[in-house]
Amino acid sequence: MIAWLRALWNNFFRRRQLDDDLDEELTAYAELVSAEKVRSGMSPEEACRATRVEMGGGEQIRQSVRDISAGVSLDTLAHDIRYGVRTLRKNSGFSLIVIATLALGIGANTAMFSLLDQIVLHLLPVKQPERLVKVTIAGNNFGNTYGTDRVSWPMFEDLREGNKVFTDMFCRFPATVSVGYGDRAAQARAELVSGWYFPVLGVGAALGRTIAPDDDNVPDGHPVVVLSYGFWRNYFNADPTIVGRTILLNGHKMSIIGVAQAGFDGVELGDSAQLFVPIMMKTEMTPRSDGLKDRRRRLAWVAAYGRLKPSISAQQAQSSLQPLLHSILEMEIQQADFRQFSDEDRRQFLRNRIEVLSGSGSRLGNYMRRPLWILMALTGAVLLLACANLANLMLARATAREREIAVRLAIGAGRGRIIRQLMIETLLLSGAGAAVALVLGFLADRLLIRMYLPANEAAGFVVSPMPDWRVLAFALGMLLVTLLAFGLMPAVLGSRTEIAPSIQERSGTASAASVPLRRMFVVVQVALSLLLLVGAGLFVRTLRNLQSQGPGFPTDHLLEFTLDPSLNGYSNQQTESFYERLNVNLQAMPGVSAVGLSAMPRFKGVAWQNAIIGEKFSGELQQEQPVLTEVGPSYFTTLGIPILEGREFTDQDRGPQKYGVINQSFAKRYLPAGDPIGRRFGLVDDQDPAHQPDIEVVGVVSDTKYRDLRETPPPQAYFPYFQGASFCFMTVYLRTQGDPRLLESQVQERMRQFDPHVPILGLQSMDEQIGWSLRTERLIASLSAVFGGLALLLAVIGLYGVMAYTVTRRTREMGVRIAMGATRPKIIGMVMREASVMVLAGLLAGAVLALALANLIRNQLFGLNPHDPWTLLGASFSLAVAAGLAGFIPAVRASSVDPTKALRQE
Amino acid sequence: MAGAESDLLQGTLDVLILKALALQELHGMGISRRIAQMTNAAFDVKAGSLFPALYRMEQAGWLTSRWGQAETNRRAKFYSLTKTGRKQLQSETKRWERISLAMAAALGTRQEAL
Repeated sequence: MIAWLRALWNNFFRRRQLDDDLDEELTAYAELVSAEKVRSGMSPEEACRATRVEMGGGEQIRQSVRDISAGVSLDTLAHDIRYGVRTLRKNSGFSLIVIATLALGIGANTAMFSLLDQIVLHLLPVKQPERLVKVTIAGNNFGNTYGTDRVSWPMFEDLREGNKVFTDMFCRFPATVSVGYGDRAAQARAELVSGWYFPVLGVGAALGRTIAPDDDNVPDGHPVVVLSYGFWRNYFNADPTIVGRTILLNGHKMSIIGVAQAGFDGVELGDSAQLFVPIMMKTEMTPRSDGLKDRRRRLAWVAAYGRLKPSISAQQAQSSLQPLLHSILEMEIQQADFRQFSDEDRRQFLRNRIEVLSGSGSRLGNYMRRPLWILMALTGAVLLLACANLANLMLARATAREREIAVRLAIGAGRGRIIRQLMIETLLLSGAGAAVALVLGFLADRLLIRMYLPANEAAGFVVSPMPDWRVLAFALGMLLVTLLAFGLMPAVLGSRTEIAPSIQERSGTASAASVPLRRMFVVVQVALSLLLLVGAGLFVRTLRNLQSQGPGFPTDHLLEFTLDPSLNGYSNQQTESFYERLNVNLQAMPGVSAVGLSAMPRFKGVAWQNAIIGEKFSGELQQEQPVLTEVGPSYFTTLGIPILEGREFTDQDRGPQKYGVINQSFAKRYLPAGDPIGRRFGLVDDQDPAHQPDIEVVGVVSDTKYRDLRETPPPQAYFPYFQGASFCFMTVYLRTQGDPRLLESQVQERMRQFDPHVPILGLQSMDEQIGWSLRTERLIASLSAVFGGLALLLAVIGLYGVMAYTVTRRTREMGVRIAMGATRPKIIGMVMREASVMVLAGLLAGAVLALALANLIRNQLFGLNPHDPWTLLGASFSLAVAAGLAGFIPAVRASSVDPTKALRQE
Repeated sequence: MAGAESDLLQGTLDVLILKALALQELHGMGISRRIAQMTNAAFDVKAGSLFPALYRMEQAGWLTSRWGQAETNRRAKFYSLTKTGRKQLQSETKRWERISLAMAAALGTRQEAL
């Protein structure tokens, strides 16, 4: 193969030199021959003429040498390609189906793989990303936490000073801040970073400098900021003189010291940072919470990272850090926070484990890992199906072309040449299919990412138009496998054709050698189709279950948006009064029937949770803490959550007595036996271990879902917003009289008039919000439904092709049968029996496959069993009906054969 | 001089060329004359068969070539055997010995029958 290519190369590019060499050699030969003739007595002219006669035509020799020296002549190659293109265009229907099948198989796979690659397998654009690890603690922190991947500030410092496995460590905390520059105001995502952040990552500055360890010594003492490259370009129009300027962050003057290198958006994929601020400025960036200066050990808020020393593996680091963690925990458990805890709690706390994870891992990646792998598996099945379909098509085509090939063999074409011709056609088809596939894949990725990420994230999420080398290798690998599967086999079978019988047979369709193979492909297609259809059925029904079950309150006619006046520098009192006036203002708005405020939004996957102290369980910590929020008056009326007992909050609930409304699950769990109204509970406060139950229950509401639609409603408690101590962001719910979306622009306008300086975010209907929260389920359901439909179509085409071919081949037999007295139903039954054997075999194989693989998607399903019999039956039934139709048409054709004509064909 | 080229099987030509080059390197015409000499002029290899064969055998790695001076001081391309070529000559020689014995036996039997 390589020699052939080299010869081809030489022939093409060094043809001139080759020709010159040969010319000189032939001239030398001629001269030597005539010299010999002259020596033997001829005159020079005579010798010359005799030599020419003896040698024959120089051009002819040249041509035959050229043919040999190249192994293959470029001329015949070009000829074959022209011939191939012509053949494919003549059968444009066939070619289009093949190209479409290829494009579907390869396109779906490259699209899904590059999504998987960019989201799940993604490595950060930093120095040696594989040496960067995230350090987390698995277990119960017995306190407050911003996420399972966070540790407290003192814990980070202890780990950083005590470890022997990292060249160094850094930590980070993401926060939203308001940015003031000139007369413009905006919100931006800031990354609070410790001093070693940039040095450990190995990320440099495009302009100025990055934050250095010296910028991270004294709390409140480092008013400097580094811009991300994207933010510098978009917000500051890539101003080259930006370094040294001052901007306001949350009203604090900060001087810009640099712009980070292009392409670096922080370490959390899908949550890109626009600003980098020293973590010592925590108080200025997050005015409502601390954790840095108070050095609370029960507040886990920073994400800790380390760069492994060259000889240390992540596994070694983990085992080396565990004793260190244990000694820190032993120290922490002696502190006042733990005085009230039981021995069991202490034992549990000491079982906490250190975990060393990939530094490139992201929440988005973790969240998307399973859905994307499932979709990858589905597209893999689609590819297999496409290959089976193509193999079937190519076999059918090779059979149809047997006569043509036989003729070509008969008039002297070499076997190699025929195989080459078929391979060229296959390559042309594959090339066209792959080109379409890459374009489709790129467009599909853009669409999926836009569908999937919030608009501002999607904008920052650049999908490269060039697939990276892995995607390319992946697509090419698949192409080659497909090529071998369906290109070479028919070619080999085709060239084995015996010349005589093929030409003799008038029908033009000959040997039946490929029929069993084609039947097998049909069985494979049916099996894979059933697998995909069952998957589609399960995912679509999961989505339907989630939608029909709902959250426990009516979601239509609800509009929501979020805002945060505190980021504009409003004081606590100003913010409180802002919300009070807002509440009154919106209640007066035409088209709005009720207004409910809530500190924590629903269906965003987040919740405020805290441990509870009550009458029966002083300080007992529960693994699953209740979901809490602060709400305004008429919150329950607005959302339509039924109040079962007592009352909801009013304007008057402002303390000093604290009130709470709980849901049924909360009452059952924490206040069992007896009427909960009037009884008390409290929130565990790690800064006040002696805290007493001080919240009086005034109402009980029904259970509702809070974080997402998959959860069983958790125990919930609601507190009056105006009794809270600090005010920051708020989600506003409006119950509207008409279609909530028609009110959107009026709400925008009214809020602009109310306070032009406070931007409102995420204005949408509750149904849209719920739809967004179901985007993973919708993505999987819609893609699997599309794949399932296409699979069904491909299987039906395959079955139809085989049956139609078999029937045509047996026309004479049918004619004989009819002449002998077989009735039409009998013929139809005979053909249908043949089809059903294939379909049944496929269904059986598919069902076994589906039952075996269903457990893998158990976690993705909701409200139904992965072995749900109705889904399996439904999928089998629809496949059987479609296949029945595909078999019925050829069967009818077989039964309407005219025996006289069929027999005369002989 | 009366050799019929059409009778000259490809394998025969190859082995003759290998044999011609076994002792020394030769240019195209040299090979042609050496073959004539070896076969008592039974085979007269013409340029039209010789050069394609030479190029094909060079491609197969049996021969190498270099430019040198011919006896008339003319520049000409000289061919010589490679290691692979020598091995090929050995195995071809053995094969021909077997074939010619078989042929002789076969033809001999037929003559007897006649």
